[in-house]
Amino acid sequence: MLKIENKADIFHYRTLLFILIFSILTLLSRYFYLQVIEHERYSSKSQVNSIRAQATYAPRGLILDRNGVVLVENYPTYILTVTPYELENKETQFQIISDITEISIDELSRRYKKYYQGQFLPTIIAKNLTFAEISQIEERRLELSGFQYKRFDERLYNDILKDAHFLGYLRELDRESLSSLDKSQFYRAGELIGWQGLEKQYESQLRYSKGTEYIEVDTFGREINTINDNNIPAYPGKNLVLSIDSKLQQFSKNLLTDQRGVILVSNVNTGDILSMVSNPSYNLDIYRGETTGSDWNDLLSDEGKPIINRNIAGLYPPGSSFKIITAFNLIEDGLLDPEDSLMCTGSYIPPGSSNTFNCWKEDGHGLVNLNKAIAQSCNVYFYETVQLIKLSDWIKTAKIFGFEKKTDIDLPNELIGQIPDKEFFINTYGRWGWSERGVLLNLTLGQGDILVTPLQSLRYINHIASKGRTAKLKLNAHKKVEYYDDIILSEQTWDRVINGLYDVVNAESGSGWRAKQSEVKLYGKTSTAENPHGEPHAWFNGFFDFEGQTYSLVVLVENGGGGGAVASPIAGEIVKFFTNEQVEMVNK
Amino acid sequence: MSFFNNYIYGSNDYLGRLYLVVLSLITFGLITLYSISNDPLSINSSFMRQIIFIIFSLFVFLILNQINVKTIHDNSTLIYICSFLLCFVPFFLAPVENTYRWIDLGFFYIQPGEYLKCTTIILIAKYLSNHQLEVKEGYIVFIPILITLLSSFLVLNQPDLGTAAIIFAPLLPMMLWAGVSGFTLFLLIAPVITIIAASNNLIFNIWGILMFIIFMAFQGSFLKNVLIYFANIFTGLLFPFFWNDFLNGYQRQRFIDFINPDLDPMGSSYHIIQSITAIGSGGLFGKGWGQGSQTQLKFLPVQESDFILSVIAEEFGFFGILIIMFLFFMLIKTLIDIAFKSSDYFSSLVIIGLTSILFSHILVNSAMTIGLMPVKGLPTPFVSAGGSFMLLCFIILSLVSNLSKN
Repeated sequence: MLKIENKADIFHYRTLLFILIFSILTLLSRYFYLQVIEHERYSSKSQVNSIRAQATYAPRGLILDRNGVVLVENYPTYILTVTPYELENKETQFQIISDITEISIDELSRRYKKYYQGQFLPTIIAKNLTFAEISQIEERRLELSGFQYKRFDERLYNDILKDAHFLGYLRELDRESLSSLDKSQFYRAGELIGWQGLEKQYESQLRYSKGTEYIEVDTFGREINTINDNNIPAYPGKNLVLSIDSKLQQFSKNLLTDQRGVILVSNVNTGDILSMVSNPSYNLDIYRGETTGSDWNDLLSDEGKPIINRNIAGLYPPGSSFKIITAFNLIEDGLLDPEDSLMCTGSYIPPGSSNTFNCWKEDGHGLVNLNKAIAQSCNVYFYETVQLIKLSDWIKTAKIFGFEKKTDIDLPNELIGQIPDKEFFINTYGRWGWSERGVLLNLTLGQGDILVTPLQSLRYINHIASKGRTAKLKLNAHKKVEYYDDIILSEQTWDRVINGLYDVVNAESGSGWRAKQSEVKLYGKTSTAENPHGEPHAWFNGFFDFEGQTYSLVVLVENGGGGGAVASPIAGEIVKFFTNEQVEMVNK
Repeated sequence: MSFFNNYIYGSNDYLGRLYLVVLSLITFGLITLYSISNDPLSINSSFMRQIIFIIFSLFVFLILNQINVKTIHDNSTLIYICSFLLCFVPFFLAPVENTYRWIDLGFFYIQPGEYLKCTTIILIAKYLSNHQLEVKEGYIVFIPILITLLSSFLVLNQPDLGTAAIIFAPLLPMMLWAGVSGFTLFLLIAPVITIIAASNNLIFNIWGILMFIIFMAFQGSFLKNVLIYFANIFTGLLFPFFWNDFLNGYQRQRFIDFINPDLDPMGSSYHIIQSITAIGSGGLFGKGWGQGSQTQLKFLPVQESDFILSVIAEEFGFFGILIIMFLFFMLIKTLIDIAFKSSDYFSSLVIIGLTSILFSHILVNSAMTIGLMPVKGLPTPFVSAGGSFMLLCFIILSLVSNLSKN
């Protein structure tokens, strides 16, 4: 096909073949020299004198609160590892270890299997060894082969905050989880990794960078020599400074006493969370050392669900705070004059229906305008006015306040609440099983199929407090301030609503009067959310200006009763914490 | 004698023999990868990944097999330019391990530099076959050298010293095959030897005298010979400056390691020492499959690719090395046979070039594991784990199969 013929010369062919044979023979002779003639030397070298690259560690970063109080630090313990290849007479040796450490042979074997990661890599089989145990192991060194002990830092939680869910915890890596991790961090089975909460969220910041140390070891895994050149040093992880004020956190925790619930306090301007309490809780120390299986089961089966961080993973009906959503729609779309008054007789019968919907105040509020309706949380006012709003508009308003999204707080495993829309109702109740007017009667009271997390509720109140432009919620004090999408409503709308919220706390017969403070103007909304689990949930969502900053708070007492009676006083106490001598509060 | 001739010059079915050898090499590689994978059947193990790469490469092989030789010949310049431009793509992407060698395709990385090696060969082959009547003239070598330098310079800036060096490998064999005179080839090798010799005064002097005798022995213009001679000497004298100002720290380190691996037992020579210990301790019959204490994860970080021969040596012993070396020998010899029997000049030259690439990989990689060459990061054809190079090997295979059909 191609026009020029091949004129390869037999001489050239032989030259290349000669080069090929010569090269292969040279390689083979070198292999022969190494493998056959010098075999003895390398064989003994491979057994007796190995240079081993060994990982070295540095402390994990600390976690501090906004005032520099150390919340999580490192606690040195000793761990025992065994290198499978060097392990001889496994049963006998495990017996010795078992005698010293009082860990059963079965347990040792279980860990040996669980953390095994190769014949030549050390496997962790015991933790939290005391110095006395280390000494005994050292004494019986000659009976043991392949065992090594080394320092291993565990997390130590500050007593004042050792039950704060958001801190999270570390967990030992097992082989199954290894493959999904960042390869460049050189994780190994048995090492600790941030598994929940901030420890997980900021793993890459907190984690040390691993180093390498070269040592010469003999057949027993004993170090003969450390070679210092070319060692790569390990560097400690970076500290994490939180926006949490541990005094306030502790103070608010005490306010809940033994009630189930949540207290959130944040700075509206920066998104900093100052306090994030979720009650009941549990002691994070449970992740240290050897917690028994029954302790675990007790914790997991506790009906108070202490293991859940209710702030981000608890879903609750929001109750009357959602009347504000209706109010926003009414004013912004000009559906009625806020000054117009309606008559509340204590009950409402929707047109064409025979069902009666009651106000919480049985004998009625009398004449109510929007301001009074918010302040006194009049159901009838909102039953009537919500009939002016289209379901889709109402849902849209609820959604722009972030209720269909995560708050993007820097914590893993945040849940999203539920804002039902038309599609939801059709799927749940069938096409004809519900009516737009009917569900609105429920929605406007924040009842029915609406669910929110307390953190979403905090975002909601922050949006209102900042008139639509509020910073993203965060726990890391040094994280850059970012903003949620702006909510653009007319100035008049914001003012009307905010005046209403002011009257909730400050006006005569406002539902949240128990939260009132003389020195600080507190705005808020109480909610009493009916739910199928017993007494209603008591809510208070509010905000106040203090020393040039705007702070917001969310109080939720699960099945606590009325928002006005139960949640408002707690909110008042939190405001007091700001105005009173703070030191005094801590000493209480 | 006829049997011998038949063996040396081969039977008619060279391709069948070639595929058989390749199949054996791949099988050997997989057996070894299975042994060093922690959990061989998991999808992330080097064993399973290698199987996926092979299947993928096989598909590419079957597709490329449809291309006509004439198409390759007629478009060789275009093919070269495309692959040359492809090498620029990584510079616009995020660097991988601080280099711009790879393009991330999601399931594996491709290394455009690898393909530039092949297209450089095709372009040179076309040039030489178009100027066949001039091969006896000395100047014929300039264009091939220029093309090679261009490719090599680009790859060197990625930076990839290993690939940049390998691009030079086909140059001499192709020119030899094309019929360029021995003296011209000597002129080409001379500066390289001069540079190596420049590290030692005595060797440099001996080389200087030897070179002088060779120059005098060949006929030619006296003035020209003297000029070339002194150009060589100056190269040797200038080399130290080049060494100090032009090479990166790690490139220099690799050369130093090569010259004296015992100098720095814990630095990059660590790999060589551990590799030699692994090979040496394997003995005649090896420690057995999966039993290599030196190679099983403990010491060698790239045992599945760069140091896979060390694993074979440790686990299967000298016996295993004999088998693998025989397979390598058969691979290269069959390829040379195919080139020799090929009916047209262009095809023959391309096959010789591609063969040189495979052979230089085998040579450099094996020599590295036994401490005869610096640590280069060059994988072994058909045996080492790695997607990009496996794909290249299959592309070479498909080119050879295409070209030999003529």
